[in-house]
Amino acid sequence: MKYAFFPGCVLEGAAKENYVATTTIAKELGIELVEIDGWTCCGGSHLQDVDELGATAVNARNIALAEKMGMPLLTVCSTCTLMLRKAKANLDNGQLEQINKILSTGGIRYNGTSDITHLLWVLIRDYGLDRLKERVKRPLTGLNVAAYYGCHILRPPGIMNLEDHANPKSLEKIIYALGATSVDFGAKLKCCGFHATYTASEDMIRITGETAKSAVASGANCIVTPCPLCQMSLDMNQPEGQAVVGCNQEMPVLHLSQLVGLALGFSPDQLGMNMHIAGRELTKEIIANM
Amino acid sequence: MLNFDVLVIGSGGSGMRAALEAIRQQGVSVGLMTKMFPTRSATGCAQGGINGSLQHADPTDTIEKHFFDTVKGSDYLGDQDAIEYFVRHMPNAIRELDYFGVPFSRDEEGRIAQRNFGGASSPRTCFSADVTGQVILHTLYEQCLKYGVQFLSEWYLLQVVVDQEQLCGVVAYDLKGGRIVPIAAKAIVVATGGSGRMYWTRTTNPFSSTGDGMAACFNAGIPLKDPEFVQFHPTGLAGTGILMSEASRGEGGYLVNNLGERFMARYAPEKMELATRDLVSQAIETEIKEGRGFGEGLSAYVQLDLRHRGRETILERLPQIRDLAITFEQVDPIEKPIPIRPSCHYSMGGIDVIDYRTCATAVEGVYAVGEAACITIHGANRLGGNSLADIIAFGKFAGKGAADCARQRSMLSSDIVDLGARLWEVKFLAVTSRKSGASITSIRDRLAEIMWNNVGVFRTASEMAVALQVVDGLVEEYQNIIVSDQNKVYNTAFVNYIELGSMLTVAKAVVLGAHNRQESRGSHYRADFPNRDDENFLKHTIVTKQGSTYNISYRPVVVTTYQPTERKY
Amino acid sequence: MRQITYKIERSDGAKSFVAAYSFPYQPGKTVLWGLITIKETIDPTLAFTASCRSAICGACAVRVNGQALLACETPLDAMLERFGDTLTIGPIQNFKVIRDIVVDWEAKTKHLTESKTWLIPKDEFNALQGCHQSAADFKQINTQASCILCGSCASECAKLTASDQDFLEPFTYSKVWKLVADTRDKSAPERLKAILDKGLWKCMHCVECVTKCPKGLAPGEDIARLRRLSIKLGYTNSIGAGHAIAFRKDIEDTGRLNEIKLTLRSIGLLGSIAKFPLALRLLRRGKLNPFHFPGKVKGHAQIQAILKAVRESDQK
Repeated sequence: MKYAFFPGCVLEGAAKENYVATTTIAKELGIELVEIDGWTCCGGSHLQDVDELGATAVNARNIALAEKMGMPLLTVCSTCTLMLRKAKANLDNGQLEQINKILSTGGIRYNGTSDITHLLWVLIRDYGLDRLKERVKRPLTGLNVAAYYGCHILRPPGIMNLEDHANPKSLEKIIYALGATSVDFGAKLKCCGFHATYTASEDMIRITGETAKSAVASGANCIVTPCPLCQMSLDMNQPEGQAVVGCNQEMPVLHLSQLVGLALGFSPDQLGMNMHIAGRELTKEIIANM
Repeated sequence: MLNFDVLVIGSGGSGMRAALEAIRQQGVSVGLMTKMFPTRSATGCAQGGINGSLQHADPTDTIEKHFFDTVKGSDYLGDQDAIEYFVRHMPNAIRELDYFGVPFSRDEEGRIAQRNFGGASSPRTCFSADVTGQVILHTLYEQCLKYGVQFLSEWYLLQVVVDQEQLCGVVAYDLKGGRIVPIAAKAIVVATGGSGRMYWTRTTNPFSSTGDGMAACFNAGIPLKDPEFVQFHPTGLAGTGILMSEASRGEGGYLVNNLGERFMARYAPEKMELATRDLVSQAIETEIKEGRGFGEGLSAYVQLDLRHRGRETILERLPQIRDLAITFEQVDPIEKPIPIRPSCHYSMGGIDVIDYRTCATAVEGVYAVGEAACITIHGANRLGGNSLADIIAFGKFAGKGAADCARQRSMLSSDIVDLGARLWEVKFLAVTSRKSGASITSIRDRLAEIMWNNVGVFRTASEMAVALQVVDGLVEEYQNIIVSDQNKVYNTAFVNYIELGSMLTVAKAVVLGAHNRQESRGSHYRADFPNRDDENFLKHTIVTKQGSTYNISYRPVVVTTYQPTERKY
Repeated sequence: MRQITYKIERSDGAKSFVAAYSFPYQPGKTVLWGLITIKETIDPTLAFTASCRSAICGACAVRVNGQALLACETPLDAMLERFGDTLTIGPIQNFKVIRDIVVDWEAKTKHLTESKTWLIPKDEFNALQGCHQSAADFKQINTQASCILCGSCASECAKLTASDQDFLEPFTYSKVWKLVADTRDKSAPERLKAILDKGLWKCMHCVECVTKCPKGLAPGEDIARLRRLSIKLGYTNSIGAGHAIAFRKDIEDTGRLNEIKLTLRSIGLLGSIAKFPLALRLLRRGKLNPFHFPGKVKGHAQIQAILKAVRESDQK
């Protein structure tokens, strides 16, 4: 299994622990990730608010780079996935000529030969749960995990079409495959507010607090999410969030790659979990007692 | 006491157009009362289009042609002076809608596009894809917000209060506030829509089409005119009665029986599927009766085949009906024919309007417009596209008429209205605290059954005599109905109870009118009197109520230009 | 006999409660059929609104297991398959509840009125002659004109749920866009200016409105259209606009985001200083590297050429 790897901006920046965790588990699972040379930011849904054509063109280039490598494109960020898949949908449904004309000024061409996928989808669809189960070295028995999907891995269903957007199960299935227990909580399908960090920061902070509080109430030991933006929002802002909703208990928020990594036998530190803001010691304790 | 110079009742196209006109009259206070949130009205269900001789699709179309088509379509029962007035105003009325912001489908020259429709000698039906009613309704709502019309949203009409043939006001039930409210008014415009739900499931109409305004006016002493003329739309979905717009035939759809024949060739060889609705409905029911349909019972059907029109056309011109066929019959018209059967669609009859220029009734201060009214321009059968036209044209006239009237009247004593409200308080308590009795659904379902079977597409004297008895029996049972919800806030059970009363009141007039009209004309088909009888019945049925007795009289049709001739398509 | 249960979040106008109703399953029915069955055969006090039963009047929007939808067109079988034989039914969210699943639209109509959601025709048109519009221009607005004011978009809107004090319903933004895009309308610049103060940049991109709309509208995309046009018209002096423009600048400059620059450009120096506790936190954990200035990515010249070509294409 070989993928053109699109890390996305935050894996270089404030979510670099996800880069560490992703590359670590990929190696262990035998998933070859070849980073795309020269990838650019996907626009993060913000470039799209300024320059829609530019966003499609820039992402067409990203996809074209993957095509040149002869591989499907894999990301670990839900927003990147949505932005790239949206661009691809535009290209495959009428904008091909227009965009290729623009791309030609840069000496590059989109052919439509690379699909765009996310680590979560790869584990479910391409790698397979049975195979994943076999690789588990440290079954996460007794770990209660609240699955937090966030928005962009599910919506809109026409583009993000792995599963039922109103009743997804992929994260839960992985949680079980890793030996952990999935706990349902009210915020499962809700928005973390990351994209309004600056424009509606109070709301975003409160959402962070409510989400953590909801996870605490459900008896979860940690939250897992497939999107580093959600992870950042729920983790980095947790002190402020908890203050607003009046909750004292820290709630660790794990990247999907980190949860998988723990079950594969890696230590929290090896997966960059020492870089988290919330609940570092909590998770270490739990893992130590397994 | 809450009071208005002009109170419009009903927020469909005609009500909102009337309110708009009244409020632009200056110096007149206007209220618009409606039993659901304003944009839920049946106008939104109209799909096909609005007629006007704009001469965009066909430069040889004329107002004169629209006039004749409507007269002929009405099977010569329409009052020709009213029809001529109506068609003359339509082109400007449609252009004004454009100016209001209705998004019309356009032709290559950027003008409002027009298409073919049933019974039209020229393509003059203007449209917006297949959601013309919905966009007109929402645009009128936008304009009402613009002009600051005061909406009484979710206020339900209980009674029109009339004293010695003069309007005093109305009694209303404020659902959200949970109170019964007397409202004084100098003029009201009753725009409450049709009464198709007396056929309950075999109708295209929404749940709200229960004839409330018709019944309230009737109970206040205003006659109902031509109530027996109930239009059956040929293409309602077999299972649910949901409308498949006439546009599906206007855009070239075929009607096919179980032998694969386009059977309309037998009934209307020239216009085929685009003959008038009464003819097509009767044709379909005949095919089913004679064993050339599919299925059986109430949901037996024939097929509406659009496949030959192709994917592009269907997606562009008929997207909504495609969605409906897929959702409610699990059939994609791009690939399969749609199962359809006639369903009650429109009430040509209604509140007796005696002045088409103002929509006035015989009671000073009471105006009626839209499907609730009978002017009549539709006579024995309404042409597709003429209803949206009707409500826009006459909505304006009624608004002005009511405003003019209000300027000249003084508010009558509100004591009577107040008394009315108090009596309704007592009634509410009495009815909702009953512990036993017949259920609303039981009476409603039996009404629907007798109406569809005995006063439907095909009618006979003996069956209708039975219907009259059954309806009387149901009215009797209704006196002891049980409602079982005592909460005054948003009591939909109580509303349903009153709505049932409205349906029973109007249904009796329908049966009576149908029974007495011993001829076939338009949508009223008598198996025992299969021919039109102009000598004896070129006249309007007038039904009035005295106490609990219904009386019938007649009034001649106004014939100005076109003498009745044989009606062939 | 298979039984279906609706657990309905009810209220009598004063207090809330949950009531469970079970009734026999029938295939091929809709969610609305279940509500009607309950009202007609079990509990006549259940209050809900429905009218056309064909997805055009918008009266029957309800929430099933937290998902807003039109009860009349939603197949019950699909819901049972998705959630099992017990469904939780509630009123749409972010509306004041009157009783049971009936909600109040009063506040929403105020928003529509405040946003002047009606056509203000160009001076070249008049009521007698109507307007003029090309078929292509009609296609620019007929999707937005299909809105039936059902409220499903507002129900799941993440921003509205967080706080409705500084934001409008998604359908209101769609209506504003409809009028901005309507070639018969003359007030696009004024409409844009007005909508900027009404939370235009606070949408969280949660995509719920796009997912929930039963008539194929995409209010979130209409919000994006309004944002783009507002920037084009020069309304760049806001946090939201600054943030979006900063993305483009970073991509054009290097191809990657620079978090420090991004923050500064979005919320300015003072705003960034206010975020100092957060920054310190991140610095400590090694998440923030103040000296991280990503260099130009490989093939950066391509990016510049592409964005230049895009600019030229936009100008046409």
